[in-house]
Amino acid sequence: MNSIMTAFNWKIAGAAGEGIKKSGLIFAKTCFKHGLNVQGYTEYPSLIRGGHNTFQIHASSEEITSPLYSLNVLVDIHGQANEIHKNELTKDTIILADNLPLSDLVKKAGGIPKMKNMAALGASAFLLGLSLDLLNKTLAEIFVKKGEEIITSNQKVAKAGFDYAQTNFKDKAHQPIKINPEIKNKIFITGNQAISYGAIAGGMKLFIAYPMTPATSILHTLAAKAKQANIAVRHAEDEIGTINMAIGAGFAGVRSMVATSGGGFSLMTEGLGLSGITETPLVIVNAMRPGPASGMPTWSSQGDLLYAIHASQDEFPRIIITPGDPQECFQLSKLAQNLAEKYQLPVIILTDKYLGESYFTINKPELKHQNQRFGFADTKNLNNEKPFKRYLDTNTGISPRTIPGQSGGVHLANSYEHDKLGYATEEKEERVKQVNKRTKKTAQILKDPDFISPILYGPETADQTIISWGSNKSVILEALKQLKNTNFIHFPIVWPFPADKFLQLTKSAKKLFTLECNSTGQLNQLIRQQTGLKIDNQILKYDGRPFFPYEIIKELS
Amino acid sequence: MKRTTHINPTWCPGCGNFGILGAIKQALDKLNLEPHQFTTVYDVGCSGNMADFIYSYGFHGLHGRTLPVAAGIKLGNHKLPVIAIIGDGGCFGEGLSHFISLARGNHDILVLTHDNYLYSLTTGQMSPTSKKGTKTPSTPEGSIEETFNPLASSILNHATFVARGFAGDIPHLANLIEQGLNHKGFAFLDILQPCITYNKDMPYNWYRKNIYDLKEKNHDPKDKAAALNKALETDKLPIGVFLQKQKPAFHEQISNFSDTPLANHDISNIDLTNIL
Repeated sequence: MNSIMTAFNWKIAGAAGEGIKKSGLIFAKTCFKHGLNVQGYTEYPSLIRGGHNTFQIHASSEEITSPLYSLNVLVDIHGQANEIHKNELTKDTIILADNLPLSDLVKKAGGIPKMKNMAALGASAFLLGLSLDLLNKTLAEIFVKKGEEIITSNQKVAKAGFDYAQTNFKDKAHQPIKINPEIKNKIFITGNQAISYGAIAGGMKLFIAYPMTPATSILHTLAAKAKQANIAVRHAEDEIGTINMAIGAGFAGVRSMVATSGGGFSLMTEGLGLSGITETPLVIVNAMRPGPASGMPTWSSQGDLLYAIHASQDEFPRIIITPGDPQECFQLSKLAQNLAEKYQLPVIILTDKYLGESYFTINKPELKHQNQRFGFADTKNLNNEKPFKRYLDTNTGISPRTIPGQSGGVHLANSYEHDKLGYATEEKEERVKQVNKRTKKTAQILKDPDFISPILYGPETADQTIISWGSNKSVILEALKQLKNTNFIHFPIVWPFPADKFLQLTKSAKKLFTLECNSTGQLNQLIRQQTGLKIDNQILKYDGRPFFPYEIIKELS
Repeated sequence: MKRTTHINPTWCPGCGNFGILGAIKQALDKLNLEPHQFTTVYDVGCSGNMADFIYSYGFHGLHGRTLPVAAGIKLGNHKLPVIAIIGDGGCFGEGLSHFISLARGNHDILVLTHDNYLYSLTTGQMSPTSKKGTKTPSTPEGSIEETFNPLASSILNHATFVARGFAGDIPHLANLIEQGLNHKGFAFLDILQPCITYNKDMPYNWYRKNIYDLKEKNHDPKDKAAALNKALETDKLPIGVFLQKQKPAFHEQISNFSDTPLANHDISNIDLTNIL
């Protein structure tokens, strides 16, 4: 029997339609139940049958934040994984393939062919020192809607796999991994789920979307929770209808959100400007995938940063939020709802397929949330026959607003340039006044106590400093565990660009690196544009996969 | 009651939009709706310029995208009537998918389509309702596409109130607007609107000669097949209510949709215990 492990990296691979993701999720939840921090990462092509799907699990008794590359166990369901994943194998990798007679085990256990993965899960559980009881418990939960019979037969097949491994692979088995006692305060969650729950916590009452990978699971999550959360969810006719409808609801006083990926975001661009000029609060999630056009739908990218900052014609203030992990997805999604209303503008949350669809173990978010409403004018003493000055110039650029139904607040919200009452104007003085009024908000946002400036991780001074944004945070933190004399600056909010706070952090830095999942170094360009700081060292990856910790370690060692 | 703003309409003298504005005012007076008690949403076009003239809560949106804004306002506050003002270009060209989809969903909005058979604010190009062969600056040899049939399309796509009015008959049109506002569900009112500047072939007199009132033919608005037949008539144009069905509106079909408008929900304390 092998020695005690503190962590392992397990992967199941097979064709689409073979239940790879479901099986991975079952095993991940079993590991979580065992008392481990679990990170689950899935790769799959954009099709429903065939191809090559994987689900991999990094589980540990310690805090972990990202997937690992080299495998301890590979479960090869369709006989091709061994070759496809050969670079992830080490001399110690246990491969479950032909040596595990899945079909026979299913047959003997009285199951049906599509339960074969359960035998592989049973065998994996034995090899990694997880109990069959926990696996059975997870199966009972996952298949609860399918009924007792399905649960029992899956459990029988899982047991057959477990028993087979016990008889045949005894020498390869590990002792149970140490349990993390804090696990009971944690949850197992995807970035998209965290964004959904954060929005609910932030008072979002209407969510509208058109399905688009990798944002779709936000729609699924919120639709499933709509009743309990007392929110409305609509799957709209297209992304243009989606954003315009959300803006209508925003105008009526409802905190609203939409979610899409790059293609849908492109369709929403004119609507983004509509939110900008009418100063209607709106939150847009853009879960990035490689593009342009249809690109690689089920893969990950960070190619839309500069696009999000500049999307739509002309200029208006906006906020670009770039969470680095599900904890931040939750916290910043709630913050996005509040900032959108406070500053009456569009807030874009940029995530990606890796963060949105991967599973992470995080501290359970707070259950009780307070929200304040911002900017609503009291009009009870105003004459209802006089238009309300909705776009009145103020010191902050934020004008008090009223909502339909409110006496004394009658006004026009206008996609045309307008005067302080909202009526269309082409006069040069009014035009300049309104542009300046809107622009003033940017300085206010940077001063807001809730604005989250760049965060430094690792030692205060170090020989090398990594600068990054968004989901790379989770991988960089994993890599930092092994990198000496290295620290890391993460941007949870990229726009408006917090130049002063950023420069304070880099003042004593020695060698700077930017790290991004795009081909031109968009944050690197932005830093130079906003601060004049030229950073020559760039680590870029744009093959549709997130960074793995070993790649960062290799670059910086 | 104050119905108009301090801004004078900028339409061409004799424009059909004047008649439509007059009819809207009459209907609002009849229903005694105060300026803060309803919302008007405007598309971009000559019709949409009405945004600066009507005194009410208003939203002047993007070209073709008025209907989703209107439906969003309704979801946000379902207690308030929402009127969408849009042209034939925005409604059946740029924004057709919204028209069809929101009709199918029976979203509770009143759509007033100012149908002048042309794009007039952009100086008179063909529109989806232009007759095949219409010569315009964008189609100097005559338009190639067959004419889009708004009434038949809305009937086939489950609109629950379908009517046609004429900008030159204000009392009749005002009555249709009033009925449309009282209807719970997707109400579509196609309004024949003379464009005296660009559509010289279809002046007021042309319409007067070519329209007739459905009431004269004892049409039953509950009869969907008869409504569709009437909508297919193109030699003479029927006006009046083609179809009216009682069906729950979109927001009434959302389970757990509370009586309190979404906009008025209290979000000061949110408990995620049942969600996480």
